[in-house]
Amino acid sequence: MKKLLALLLAAAMVLGLAACGNTNDAPADDNAGEEKTVVTLKVWAAQDDQDMTKGMIDEFIAANPDKEWDITLAVVGEPDAKTKYLEDPAAAADVFAFANDQLRDLVAAGALYKVTRNAEDVIARNGEGAVGAATLDGQLYAYPMTADNGYFMYYDSSVFTAEDVQTLDGMLAAAEAAGKKVFMDVSNGWYIASFFLGNGGTLAIDANGNQTCDFNNANGLATAEAIKAFTAHPAFITGDDTVLTAGIQDGTIAAGVSGTWNADAISTSLGENYAATKLPTFTVAGAQVQMSSFGGYKQIGVNSQTKFPVEAMDLADWLTNEANQVKRFETRALGPSNVNAAASEAVKSNVALAALSLQSQFAVSQNDVLGAYWTPAEAFGTTMEAKDYSTDLQTLLDTMVAQITAAQ
Amino acid sequence: MEKENMLKNFVAGIKSVGKSIANGFSSFFSNFVKGDIITKISYFIMGFGCLARKQIVKGLLYLGVQIAYIYYMIQTGSYYIMMLTTLGTQSQGEVWDEELQIFKVVQGDNSMLLLLFGVISVCITIGFLMVYVMNTKTAYKNQCLLKEGKKLPSFKQDWKDLWDKNYHITVLALPIGMTFLFTVLPLIFMILMAFTNYDKNHQPPGNLFTWVGLENFQKVFGGNPMWGETFSRLFVWTIIWAIFATFLNYLFGMLLAILINRKGVKLKKMWRTIFIITIAIPQFVSLLLMSKLLHDQGALNNLLLDLGWISSYIPFLTNATYAKIVVIVINLWVGIPYSMLITSGILMNIPADLYEASHIDGANAVQQFFYITLPYMLHVTTPYMITQFVGNINNFNVIYLLTGGGPLSLDLYQAGSSDLLVTWLYKLTVNEQNYALASTIGILIFIICATLSLITYNKTSAVQEEDTFS
Amino acid sequence: MKNSKTKRTVANVVSHVFLTILSIIWLLPVVWLLMQSFRETPTGAFPKAIIPTTWTLSNYTRLFTETDLFNFPRWFMNTLVVAIASCILTTILTLLTAYAFSRLRFKARKPLMNVILILGMFPGFMSMIAVYHILKAIGLAQSLLSLVLVYSGGAAMGYYVAKGFFDTIPASIDEAAMLDGATKNQIFWQITMPLSKPIVIYTVLTSFISPWVDFIFVSVIMKDNYQNYTVALGLYQMLARENIDAYFTRFCAGAVLIAIPITLLFIKMQKYYVSGITAGGAKG
Repeated sequence: MKKLLALLLAAAMVLGLAACGNTNDAPADDNAGEEKTVVTLKVWAAQDDQDMTKGMIDEFIAANPDKEWDITLAVVGEPDAKTKYLEDPAAAADVFAFANDQLRDLVAAGALYKVTRNAEDVIARNGEGAVGAATLDGQLYAYPMTADNGYFMYYDSSVFTAEDVQTLDGMLAAAEAAGKKVFMDVSNGWYIASFFLGNGGTLAIDANGNQTCDFNNANGLATAEAIKAFTAHPAFITGDDTVLTAGIQDGTIAAGVSGTWNADAISTSLGENYAATKLPTFTVAGAQVQMSSFGGYKQIGVNSQTKFPVEAMDLADWLTNEANQVKRFETRALGPSNVNAAASEAVKSNVALAALSLQSQFAVSQNDVLGAYWTPAEAFGTTMEAKDYSTDLQTLLDTMVAQITAAQ
Repeated sequence: MEKENMLKNFVAGIKSVGKSIANGFSSFFSNFVKGDIITKISYFIMGFGCLARKQIVKGLLYLGVQIAYIYYMIQTGSYYIMMLTTLGTQSQGEVWDEELQIFKVVQGDNSMLLLLFGVISVCITIGFLMVYVMNTKTAYKNQCLLKEGKKLPSFKQDWKDLWDKNYHITVLALPIGMTFLFTVLPLIFMILMAFTNYDKNHQPPGNLFTWVGLENFQKVFGGNPMWGETFSRLFVWTIIWAIFATFLNYLFGMLLAILINRKGVKLKKMWRTIFIITIAIPQFVSLLLMSKLLHDQGALNNLLLDLGWISSYIPFLTNATYAKIVVIVINLWVGIPYSMLITSGILMNIPADLYEASHIDGANAVQQFFYITLPYMLHVTTPYMITQFVGNINNFNVIYLLTGGGPLSLDLYQAGSSDLLVTWLYKLTVNEQNYALASTIGILIFIICATLSLITYNKTSAVQEEDTFS
Repeated sequence: MKNSKTKRTVANVVSHVFLTILSIIWLLPVVWLLMQSFRETPTGAFPKAIIPTTWTLSNYTRLFTETDLFNFPRWFMNTLVVAIASCILTTILTLLTAYAFSRLRFKARKPLMNVILILGMFPGFMSMIAVYHILKAIGLAQSLLSLVLVYSGGAAMGYYVAKGFFDTIPASIDEAAMLDGATKNQIFWQITMPLSKPIVIYTVLTSFISPWVDFIFVSVIMKDNYQNYTVALGLYQMLARENIDAYFTRFCAGAVLIAIPITLLFIKMQKYYVSGITAGGAKG
């Protein structure tokens, strides 16, 4: 009879699901009584950092023989950490690296353990900006790992003189004369902010936790005019990293705004003519204004869902200590956030890092930027790049700001 | 009976379901009243009506289900069902651990998992109730059979029936079970999410989310002008896209098939194979490749610049209008070979004498196409086209891989000009973690698809001649 | 008479020319893909020259030798295993469902068919999150088995085409067998199946291919478990922002490697594919 099969099926399902309900609430530390606890941790690191991170973890295990370690390494890059984390926090890494713009969302989602163990040391050994980027409402949430996630100007010194690169106008003129292009990804909230912030615009958070933004005031309008002029210039080119590196390689692009992650590719292509410096000034209503930027850092956080918080913190601490930051610089040329490591001659003579540190005095913290900012800013940049002037700038800015500041 | 339409089917279906539920209820109670002591006991101890009447295996199965269910409810089920009302009350907290010098995180309720397991528990309960009712029916039926002096079906007989008289149960049990587990359950979960405030600010595990009723729907329809505006604009584009993608592909595919099927055309197999090659290349490969090819700095622009045909690159994917045209055109590249394959088979089925007769009447090729081929094809392939249309409304790949929905526009909330509703939905979950809004849109997309197909099914005569078999 | 003959010749020539042009349009991207897979430098996605200036086989060889980060051979095997398992399961499930709806008569038939039809109209993404957690609850998270289940889980919803095919098999055959005392189970396996070669091949073919081309479901299921990726997701990963510069040409090579077997399959099975889908697809 049909009942029979339905019965069997139902029985199997009930049993199966009853079983799974159990595994769900399984207690975490049932092996506390044993002499040597097996500590199981998962670490996320970027694709290119895998070998290096593996080495650091091996050393960590060797340095802590009192425990049995089972540490696995998986590939999730810093830019994707938040998205991947939120897909399933319980299956995410116990220790993971992320870019500092994700800090606020991660903290809001309850994703991070507060850094309290050894906190004073962590704060003392890292640069102020790096610590600030890992701190929210006075509480440290992550271990600063690098201080190189910002951007500056790469250029071909055979095309531009040291004076050319002081002003955007000078660069565009020189590039146009040489039949080459100046690259900047204006359709990207991260980069386009450098104009607005440079000309006195502000992004902040009000008492209700909503984003405030004044990019549509008179200053903002003047800035937008400058962006419009820049994107309309024949020597202007936009695109993503691939466009920049390919363009530099085949010689069509002579300068570009980007970060240290492209240093290798660009220095190989430009050879002797490889140079980098802070961002130039741009012209607002006849006056020169220094471009600002977002100060970017990478940091390591400890998953609030981890079963071994103390060990995870020790590992995070280890991965970001001075020795490993030096190692990171030596193997992958990643700029250290550690004060001592950053002070070394080798770091100072690194072209890209030197340019970044020049720019850092004009950089602005990303802590007060909410997720709502990025897409509207990108949309504004896209409109400028597409040279679509069917709507006047003031209206565009008003729409952008309205979207950015809309209550969530 | 044959030509009834889906709408009528539906109404009839709902009516019959309602009727059988009502009947079930009344017989459930009357059976209890009419039942003897064994039947009455089996209302409390499942399978008793079988065990006491020597249907051992069946009785044990019923009993097993009851025990398993009670065990499950005690273990976790009742907890999850209870939590379904609030979706969690205890948010994640922390306590200072002096010895370790850390704020130890105290796990709170995870609203998402509570919702999911709550749904599962409810489904299990419904399933259990169905088995339970079945059990009472069996008990009563056994009682009646014995009273009439008939023999009860043995387990062996039941087993045999499963391979013949009741073969449909054997055959459908696994497919339906899998569909339930992998489609229906998740779907219920998704639908329920639209009635919660699961967004960035209510993100598990750190925060709880809870029921908000129809708030999300109300926001899409006016409460939040930005959402409403985006929805209506993307809706219009989605429909335009689906119309173009479905009908152009179909038409051109058919024309191509006719061309290849022409009498004079040599090497028919070779031509067909050429187009099949493009089907065989995975869509994500060809589409990603196209997106690189059509990029502002991509190979096509480079080629045109080198040839001197253009002086500055063409923004194939970064201009709103161009992007929309490009996705439709590229979709032709993707889709024409498919419709060519499908239509060419059917074309050969058109009775040749139709053409001969019309030829004698002096009809030319164009007239033949419009008066014979097209009506015949439309008649036969309407169900296929409806499926295609619905598929195109939900066509994620082409848009996502080609333009990524871009270019972004300030007129839209978190969406670009070439975004379909379904890619917008995807972006809302991945970029914005706004699951509540995404689910709401998912439901709206479904309503659109279902309505459209119901209407078209209604208006077409080419539905189901399948009941000739019985 | 002569006039109409020349007219026909002209029409034939025009048809062939037109077909040639169309073939070129359709094949160009394919040829471009092939050329890119043999390009040596640059490795990025936006080369200046449309035809590579330097040629190499290394994109192919490196797929199999440099397996530390992108383990192409392993992903290939994963996909093969999943494809075989899920195509067996899917084919069985689909054909059983289709057979039940086409040949068997029972009370819930019509409502079930309608419900299944309607289910297919929901966009699938959102439910993937739930599917992931259900699989995780059963203890199958991030495993190849879970992938097989995901690909065949919806098999019943694809009953449409196969049912159309079964509908075309004359009922009298079944009736004759029933008079001879065959059970429905016997009829299905011994009479219907042997007559249904095209639809079986069609179902096998389509379900075998889906694991090779899907990159969304597998990414939701596998997340950070690189070892269990399928080729499609692995290749997709090669075009991620941080990898595209170094891996674009290898992506092309990998794409060629999965396109070749599928193309051969298609060409070989074309006949069945067409008769399967035309018999089934055109009917309700």
